[in-house]
Parts: sequence; C-alpha cells; structure tokens
Amino acid sequence: MLRFEQVTKSYSGGFVALDRVSFHLEKGEMAFLTGHSGAGKSTLLKLISLIERPSTGKVFINGVDLSRVNKGQVPYVRRDIGMIFQNHKLLMNHSVFDNVALPLVIEGFSGKDMTKRVHAALDKVGLLDKVRCLPHTLSGGEQQRVGIARAVVNRPPLLLADEPTGNLDPDLSKDIMNVFEAFNQVGVSVLIASHDLSLLARMRYRTLTLKNGRMINDGLTSFGADE
Amino acid sequence: MSILFQGRATGATAVKQSLWSKFVMFWVHHIRQALASLGEIWLTPASSLLTVAVLGVSLTLPVTLHLMVKNLQQVSTSVDQAAQISLFLKADTNETQIAELIALLQANPEVADVQFIDKSQALAEFTAESGFGDALSYIEDNPLPHVMLVSPKNTSSVAASALLNQLQQERYVELAKLDIGWLERLDAIVSLVRQVAIAVALLLMVAVLLVVGNTIRLMILNKKDEIEVMKLVGATNSYIQRPFLYTGIWLGFFGGVLTFLIEEVLLWWLKHAIASVTQLYESTFTLQPLSLSELGYLLLVAVGLGFVGSFLAVRRNISQIEATGL
Repeated sequence: MLRFEQVTKSYSGGFVALDRVSFHLEKGEMAFLTGHSGAGKSTLLKLISLIERPSTGKVFINGVDLSRVNKGQVPYVRRDIGMIFQNHKLLMNHSVFDNVALPLVIEGFSGKDMTKRVHAALDKVGLLDKVRCLPHTLSGGEQQRVGIARAVVNRPPLLLADEPTGNLDPDLSKDIMNVFEAFNQVGVSVLIASHDLSLLARMRYRTLTLKNGRMINDGLTSFGADE
Repeated sequence: MSILFQGRATGATAVKQSLWSKFVMFWVHHIRQALASLGEIWLTPASSLLTVAVLGVSLTLPVTLHLMVKNLQQVSTSVDQAAQISLFLKADTNETQIAELIALLQANPEVADVQFIDKSQALAEFTAESGFGDALSYIEDNPLPHVMLVSPKNTSSVAASALLNQLQQERYVELAKLDIGWLERLDAIVSLVRQVAIAVALLLMVAVLLVVGNTIRLMILNKKDEIEVMKLVGATNSYIQRPFLYTGIWLGFFGGVLTFLIEEVLLWWLKHAIASVTQLYESTFTLQPLSLSELGYLLLVAVGLGFVGSFLAVRRNISQIEATGL
C-alpha cells in the first residue's frame, strides 16, 4: 500500500530531515511512526501527502510512483488519503457539519447523499449530536474527532494521523485509538505518528522508529533502541 | 477520478447521472456559489462597500464624459443639418437684379433651396422679435440689406465653404456668410472631449482593476488558513478560486449600479442649470440620459472589470498559498 525506497529529504541549508528511509506498509495494516520531535516524522508524512517532495528516493502508494504525480494532480491524490492533524485544521467559523462535509463538497457531492455520509462519519466518532455546533464550542478531544470524521468521510483507503492524541489525556487518547482500530478492522491502512510511548506500548502494533532522520527500528519492540 | 486507486469510486462522478441532470447540477452549483459569494460580501460590509464606492465613483467620470460627448454631438448634428449661407446684397440692388440672382442661384446644382427676405420684411421681423420695437420707428431709412438664404445641397462644412467662396464672387453680393466657424470649433471640442474621455476611461479602468485586485488579494490573505485546509483535503486551485471570482463579479456589478445611480443624481442636479442655459439660446435641446443599452454596456464593463481584477489577484495569490500542513 505505502512503500518508501531509500528516501532522503534534505532542506536548503544542508539539514537532512530523512536519510535513506525504506519501509513498506501493507494493505490493511496499522502502524505507528515514532521518534523524538525533529526526528523526521512530520517530514515523512509530508512526503506521503505531497506537501513536500523527496530529494532522492521514491515513494509509492498502491504501486503509483508519487514523483510521477504533477502539480495539478496533487489535489486528487490527497482525496485518496485521509489526513488527521495535531492542531485539527478545522474551519473555525463553519459548523461541524460543514467541516466534515468539506471533502465531499470539493468532490461535487450535494444534497441527501452528502448529508447521509457526513452523519455516518460523525456517528462513527460519536459526535452525531454536535452536528450544528461550531468547532470552538467543542473540547480538544471532540475537535480531534471532528478532524477524524472529516478524514474518513469519503472512505479513503489510507489514513495518516500526525500526533492525533497530542494534547489529550490518556482516556481520550484511548478513545481516539479505538476509532482508528475500528477503521483498520474494515480494511483501511493506517499510519499514526506519535511520540506517546506509553500509548504505543499498550497498543502493540508495528512501530517504525526514526532518529535524526534515519529509520532505526521497524517492529514491535522499538522503545529500547530509541533511548 | 482517482489517481492512486484504479477503480476506486470517488466523488459525485461515481453516482450515475444523466447528461441533463449533470447540466442542471452544473448551473445549480454555480448559482449556489454565486449566492454564497454574495453572502460573503454581506458578511464583510465595510470593506466591500468601500470597494464598491471606489468603483462607482471611478466609473462615473468616464460615463459623465461619454454623456457630455453624446449631448454635444446632438447639438452639432442638429445645427449641421440647418447649415445655411446668408447672402447680404448690395444696398443699391434693384428688383430685376434680384430676380436675376434668384434665377442664377436656382440654376446652380450645388444649391438646394433659395429663400429671399426683402429688407422691409426683415425690418418688420426684427422689430417684432428684437424687442427694440418703438425705438426702431425713429430710424428713417431701413438700414437692413436684402438677404438671400441659400441652403446647400451638401451640408458638410467643406462643401458648404466651397459654395460660400463661389457665391461671394457674385456681382450683387456684398457679403456672404456661412456661420460654420463655431460649428467647426464645436466639432473640434467634441472630438477633444471624446479623446479625453477615452484616455480617462482607460486610466480609471486600470485603477478599478487594481482596486478590485487588491480587495480580492486581501480577502484571500484573510482566508489563508481556510484555503490551506481546503488544499490539504484535496481542493483544486480552480475550486478554491471560484468564490473569489464571483466576489469580483459582484463587486463589479454593484459598482456599475452605483455608477448609474450617481449619474442619475448628477443629471437631475444639472437638469435645471442646463435648462436655463438652453432657454437663453431658445434651443430645443433636451438632455439625453443614459439609454438602456448604454446602461447594459456599463454593467457589462463593470462586471468584466470585476472579473478580470479578481482573476489577476486569484491567479497570483492562490497558487502561492501552499499547504504547509502537519
């Protein structure tokens, strides 16, 4: 589903954010991406969502070489990837419904079909009763779940999450993770960047560990190596 | 269309639609976005109003100049049609000589019509119309000459001047006069005003483009975060820029309407002043307001300027905002 082949990303000024990173995330697999801040987690996610391009090496999604995707096609690639952001990236002056509906509106949905899908997505994250609220009236955890609903509303085959439990307490984090597990169980590939080691330890999924831009561990027991 | 996942049903395109319902939905979609942009303008009334005011005032000047040219042309054409050459005859011309001259003039192929005004008849007319009345009765001799009013076949100023020179040579003619000088001056002024109008219009159109462009640019910058989010969830540039283009169109439209209103007020304001001037000249001049088709052109130009102005801003600014995300 998602394959990195010797991917290096260096920024102007010589800073190397990723150094020859290779891994393969299978279809329907759920994995964590961890490492200290600055280790390259965000850069890796940016390469997948085409916010950045690799300096060398190749990224494949479902066998499609992303370096072949031109600028005009980038939006269409992003429609196939559900992205969840640490700071939610919600439209603060639009209702929860409008926020979740945004990807559908962009794809030309309207009317009943759209409403049905938005309600289904909000139901999955348990926020169906907040449809008409504005995001700033919701708690941090609820805003995060609105972000998740928006990411899954057009049923993408691949979900990316950047620190989805960043500023949430352990109970809420558990809830959010359960939501991801539920999507994974219906066949969605999920990649979650997180530095919440205790959460990772409890979840026991495959963990990719980055340190100074290099992939230093790929497996279940990554934490010792990271220290 | 999905680039990564062949056969993945995405978007509304995945739902089977007839060509007709696609066509209808296309327009429904556009009308909805146009109305949404209108609502957007409504939400930020202060800046939108200012922009519309600038547009309205800027367009008023060229429109006023256009009306000026139009009305002056109306004056000059109405005079041009009545171009007449007055022949003042020598004081000692007698009846037979007059008859001879009339016959000669009527035989001239350049002459359309000849009208003879006897000097006593002229005096009677002058007494009646000038208001000197009684004072004139103290004059013993009639000081006025016989006059022939010659209407040229060709009323253009060049042909009329040629005829004038020819008639000047006639034996009994003391003085031939074609009051064409002021007409030429008027024509020159009209064409000058027209040139000025074109130059001013071009300059102000550029100003309008810049004003609309700047307003839209500020709107884009205000919505930078929103645009970034839209890009992150897969909105194309053309999707993001559409509401801004509609906003530009609305700004142009309202600017055009405001121009029309200002123009109407201006005409109403000037109507009395113009009426009192034309009364002095005993003219049948009536002020021509903007016609319906001219109003149409005005709105078309205003909307076009709004569209182009926003298009320039949108092209530059929206692609510059990149999703930084994550």
